[in-house]
Amino acid sequence: MFKLPNIFAVTLLSVAMVSGVVQADGHKYNLGAPASADEIAGWDIDIRPDGMGLPVGSGNALDGEAEYETQCAACHGVFGEGEGRWPVLTGGEGTLSDERPVKTVGSYWPYASTLFDYIRRAMPFTAPMSLSDKQVYGITAYVLYMNEIIEEDFELSNENLATIRMPNEDNFYVDDRPDVKNPRCMADCADVSSMMLASSLSGVTPIGHFVEGADAPAASHEGQHNLETQKEAKRKAEITGEEVSESLSAEPAMLSVQAQAGEEVYKGACFVCHGSGLAGAPKVGDATAWVERVGQGMNLVISHALEGYSGSTGFMPPKGGRMDLSDEQVTNAVHFMVESSH
Amino acid sequence: MTIPSTKELLQTMQEAAENLSKNDRRDFLRKGVSYLAGAAAVGSAGAASGASFSTNLPPNEPIWGRQLGSGVVANPYGEPSHFEEHVVRRTVPWLTAESISSISMSPIQNLQGIITPNGLVFERYHAGVPSINPDEHRLMIHGLVDNPLIFTMEDLMRFPSVSEIKFIECPANGGMEWRGPQMEALQFTHGMLSCCEWTGVPLKVLLEEAGIQPEGKWILAEGADGAHMSRSIPIEKILDDTLVVYAQNGEMLRPEQGYPLRLLNPGWEGNTSIKWLRRIEVGDMPWHHREETSKYTDLMADGRARRFTFVQECNSVITSPCPENPIKKPGFIEIEGLAWTGRGKIKGVDVSFDGGVNWQPAQLKGLVLDKALTRFSFQTKWSGQPWLLQSRAYDETGYVQPTLAQLREQRGVNSIYHKNSIHTWQVQPTGEVKNVQVT
Repeated sequence: MFKLPNIFAVTLLSVAMVSGVVQADGHKYNLGAPASADEIAGWDIDIRPDGMGLPVGSGNALDGEAEYETQCAACHGVFGEGEGRWPVLTGGEGTLSDERPVKTVGSYWPYASTLFDYIRRAMPFTAPMSLSDKQVYGITAYVLYMNEIIEEDFELSNENLATIRMPNEDNFYVDDRPDVKNPRCMADCADVSSMMLASSLSGVTPIGHFVEGADAPAASHEGQHNLETQKEAKRKAEITGEEVSESLSAEPAMLSVQAQAGEEVYKGACFVCHGSGLAGAPKVGDATAWVERVGQGMNLVISHALEGYSGSTGFMPPKGGRMDLSDEQVTNAVHFMVESSH
Repeated sequence: MTIPSTKELLQTMQEAAENLSKNDRRDFLRKGVSYLAGAAAVGSAGAASGASFSTNLPPNEPIWGRQLGSGVVANPYGEPSHFEEHVVRRTVPWLTAESISSISMSPIQNLQGIITPNGLVFERYHAGVPSINPDEHRLMIHGLVDNPLIFTMEDLMRFPSVSEIKFIECPANGGMEWRGPQMEALQFTHGMLSCCEWTGVPLKVLLEEAGIQPEGKWILAEGADGAHMSRSIPIEKILDDTLVVYAQNGEMLRPEQGYPLRLLNPGWEGNTSIKWLRRIEVGDMPWHHREETSKYTDLMADGRARRFTFVQECNSVITSPCPENPIKKPGFIEIEGLAWTGRGKIKGVDVSFDGGVNWQPAQLKGLVLDKALTRFSFQTKWSGQPWLLQSRAYDETGYVQPTLAQLREQRGVNSIYHKNSIHTWQVQPTGEVKNVQVT
């Protein structure tokens, strides 16, 4: 009983070796390991319009309002109007066929599920995947509420999110290109008398890439931001008659060990606001802004960074929303920003 | 001044260079050698700047022929010549709020052939470039499959590999000019475009390994970056030519391009080629995520919008002359450019000198590959006459690159994406080249 199969096995093995062909189990290579249910559950974060993937839970706009103001308003604006070039979330209804359409969650997005999915996978910008399901439901509800899609007290949940209809859903259709048929004409293809020639606008190309000292669109985001800040300061100065302070460019600083340790955290987290001055954040390199704050004591500056701050000059969520960072890491980053702004 | 021996020279240089950074060191070598060798050249100016004052021209023996250069592994991972430092990726800062979720363009005005060097491939990030340890990177395949699987990089590299030359283009390439011309540089009008030899495994092979179920009609591909960038791809594309790649142009992917693993959907919108690929879920319908609803959908004039506009349609542009490459003097000129199509191979390219009234066929040169950049050439003479220079490509499906007027008539000017219209360069009597639009 044992002998026959053994002979078969030996024979098959030798055939495979001679031919060099993989024949085990169809055309499978048997590479990779089974993905366990736990492994899949940890990574399977996607949501579909039919509600597939929604975690059990709920939240409403009232819950979401405070979360939104802490986590989202710095970039998206308190009313979803968008700060600077950050995305506008509200308004724009009825503008899609206008000369300048405003594409927002309310005016453009076809599905509410996309909002939950995107907030959970990518927001807040500096701390993706840091929100609880409860927070995501609340913020989603608040953004839908601001767009007048649900009521303030509507309890958004895994049971009902898929039933919400977005106003613009029916205005999407699947790609029907090619939509243009250009014949391969070789001679007399256009009427010269009716041809129009349009030239490029000046002051748009970021010529700072090519010309030293160019003052129209800069070569980097930082340069562009400084340019716009200075323009805005000049505009305001003309109105108020004040003098413009030139405190934006900082000399390379000698950094303490603590500050050096904070540089990486700064680049990975704080940079988004403190590099650009978003949400009233004191900008790195802006000596005046930092001197004012450090004047009140370094301990206060650090406690604002750790516990959050909200005032007339701007606001900051605790640890900038990066609750995964230790107190020490945040403190180091504060030292880096202060020392880089002398 | 006596000329030191080779040994003395090298030793002195090494000692002095030890405290300098790598770039400074190269500079130092140039300056240092000319100084120490007692050369007639005037320090760095002779090496770096204009030739009019140079003693490196005939009949003189140039300085580099009278001394030694650096030895092997002076620079273990080589870089381009210092004289090519202007050939870099560039961004248009006002396009985006900051640099982390932004885009840069390849300097296609400076490139030759059809391959984009790895350091110059255009960048597009939604949450910056993650730094991923390949030993800790995994690709998970699950959903409508018989055996959900998880692969290490080692597993993936054990599969039989394929290498293919394919272009990759952002669908927003050219999208700043729907309403009118505004970029005085080819890099900004067409630079969201690159072409590499990519190496990896067909995704089909991996899905067969997991056993795709008959109801599986779409996949969701997802990145491991902070954006967890995700797109839905129909299964027909996967079965056709989608790859999971780990290498580009002979080396492992650059971090900017998805190290250690990315998807590659040849000929389709660049953003469907998910970088830092960590997960593929098989489903029976698309997911309609943010980057395929809010973004990467094409708004038409009537307020409706196209979605899943995957294919990058046939396109071309003249790369020389162009605003960055003006014509320096009359005489022989080779008009050169790039053509590409997401629907297969380029069949031919025509060139017009009069803004599209009359056309003449150009020559395709070098490799003509499926969904790859293809180079074209037209040899002629320029004697200072103004030109309205255009190129018009057509592909093996018979599709001919459209005019801007034709696209605007169909789509209006608010669709942002997929502007593949015939591009016009105005060559002025001075040889300068301006970006214009003819309608």
